[in-house]
Amino acid sequence: MREVEFHWNVLIVIYLFTAGVSAGAFVISGLATYLGGAKYKRISRIGAMIAPCPLIFGLGMLVFDLTKPLQFWWLFLTVQWTSPMSIGSWLLTFFSLLSIIYFLLWIPRPWRDLLRVPHRWGEIFSPKRWQSLSRRDVGIARRVIAAIGFPVGLGVGMYTGVLLGAIPARPLWNTPMVAQLFLFSAMSTGVATVLLIAALVRDKSDADHLHHERHFLVSVDAVLIVFEIFIIIPFFLHQALNTWSSAESVNLIMGGPYTLAFWVGVILLGLLVPLAIEGFELYPVVWREAAVKYSRLWGGVSAALVLVGGFLLRYIFVYAGQVSHFLPLLER
Amino acid sequence: MANPATETTRKKRWVFVMEPDRCIDCEACMVACSVENHVPIGEHRNWIAHRETGAFPDLNLSFMPENCHHCDNPPCERVCPTGATYQRDDGIVLIDYDKCIGCKYCIQACPYDARYVNEEKQAVDKCTFCVHRLDAGQPPACVETCIGGARHFGDLNDPESEVSKLLATHDYTRLYEEAGTGPAIYYIRGK
Ligand code: SF4
Ligand code: SF4
Repeated sequence: MREVEFHWNVLIVIYLFTAGVSAGAFVISGLATYLGGAKYKRISRIGAMIAPCPLIFGLGMLVFDLTKPLQFWWLFLTVQWTSPMSIGSWLLTFFSLLSIIYFLLWIPRPWRDLLRVPHRWGEIFSPKRWQSLSRRDVGIARRVIAAIGFPVGLGVGMYTGVLLGAIPARPLWNTPMVAQLFLFSAMSTGVATVLLIAALVRDKSDADHLHHERHFLVSVDAVLIVFEIFIIIPFFLHQALNTWSSAESVNLIMGGPYTLAFWVGVILLGLLVPLAIEGFELYPVVWREAAVKYSRLWGGVSAALVLVGGFLLRYIFVYAGQVSHFLPLLER
Repeated sequence: MANPATETTRKKRWVFVMEPDRCIDCEACMVACSVENHVPIGEHRNWIAHRETGAFPDLNLSFMPENCHHCDNPPCERVCPTGATYQRDDGIVLIDYDKCIGCKYCIQACPYDARYVNEEKQAVDKCTFCVHRLDAGQPPACVETCIGGARHFGDLNDPESEVSKLLATHDYTRLYEEAGTGPAIYYIRGK
């Protein structure tokens, strides 16, 4: 066998994962703002507070992985339309900006008054007269940013998969299903992060409120997991029935070195177990019109598992993909 | 639609024509290249691929000299986010080492594993077809050094060149040609 050099390592995995979590947290927060308003306020806030953090950490990892970290800004001297990495860099920058503004708009009231903006055109040039935002202004601003950020967040989630999928030389990556899978997984890990924080933070809301909140989050996550499962099944069928190179590439996770991590880590622990827990939580709502059967312990466990599974999914794809190759592979 | 991987539109198209039957795997070309281009120890811009064909006891092993294929439609150039990887009018694919930030996306995109990270330059590197020699009217170092005469180099669009004549009179293949990369290394089929 020719020796494989992994030019992309765990730093890239972290980057793809954190970008997905941020995109998911933003999108779920925006969705909650539009669908629930005051009812889902806590979700919106937690999502908004999370959104910029993992991404900024992940971007740091990405820059660190370059051979010239200090020259990362050269990415922004140009737009290369055929390079997903170029388009993705611009997309991520725009998204970071939006998520930071969104974060500021959601910080709790005492600090929010520090936010001052010009209210009339004439004020732009005299910052001393900038006023702090009123409650109503903040509400509108949140919705506007959520609406702009919604497609951008979905784009970021998809981009993490397109980055890999746009490379014909790596048969394991070179399918549109990778982008779909990464998108839904990104949304799911974002929701799971919100669920995890919601489980960790003790809160004083009444039972009815909590029921709505949990019902919303858990249902969204369950639907996303089902989507993922129905992408993975055709992914395997198609790859296995495709060209020799593609068929061989799935053997890396069907008997090859990444089999256990994929089937136990990603499929069982990352998708099926959380789905089962969520099904158990939702069961009373669907069949008995009762409240969500929720315990902070199990809710936290299932959310944590979704995160572990999402990370492993990216890890396996980044590494196994680099082993996959056009065939015949000549010895050197 | 025109096949993007055809060379007809270029005035000049530099190509290699390799004769595996003449290669004895002595690796003199690898040494010559490393010296000529100051390739860091442990990395290589060219190499000898081994192709095994047939079934026991009729086995056949051929040595296929290889380097960057200077694809006519180069996937490495397409994915480069800074435009550091570019293609000259004569089809030669080069890297602007100052512009390269080392994201390694091109390494993933190259189907031939032709690229490596040059730690000294803090950039990605690969075979340049010895442009510095070419532009001075000399053949690449590996061609000059090959003791078996397995490496031929020239302009495909000049019907009088050695490579054009070889291709006109022999059967040949290219690696992963089906992928549409338009590789510039031709292998003469064995007898
Ligand atoms: S062989 Fe690889 S490095 Fe050379 S031009 Fe083709 S894709 Fe680029
Ligand atoms: S490593 Fe350099 S040459 Fe390769 S894609 Fe990145 S910036 Fe371009």
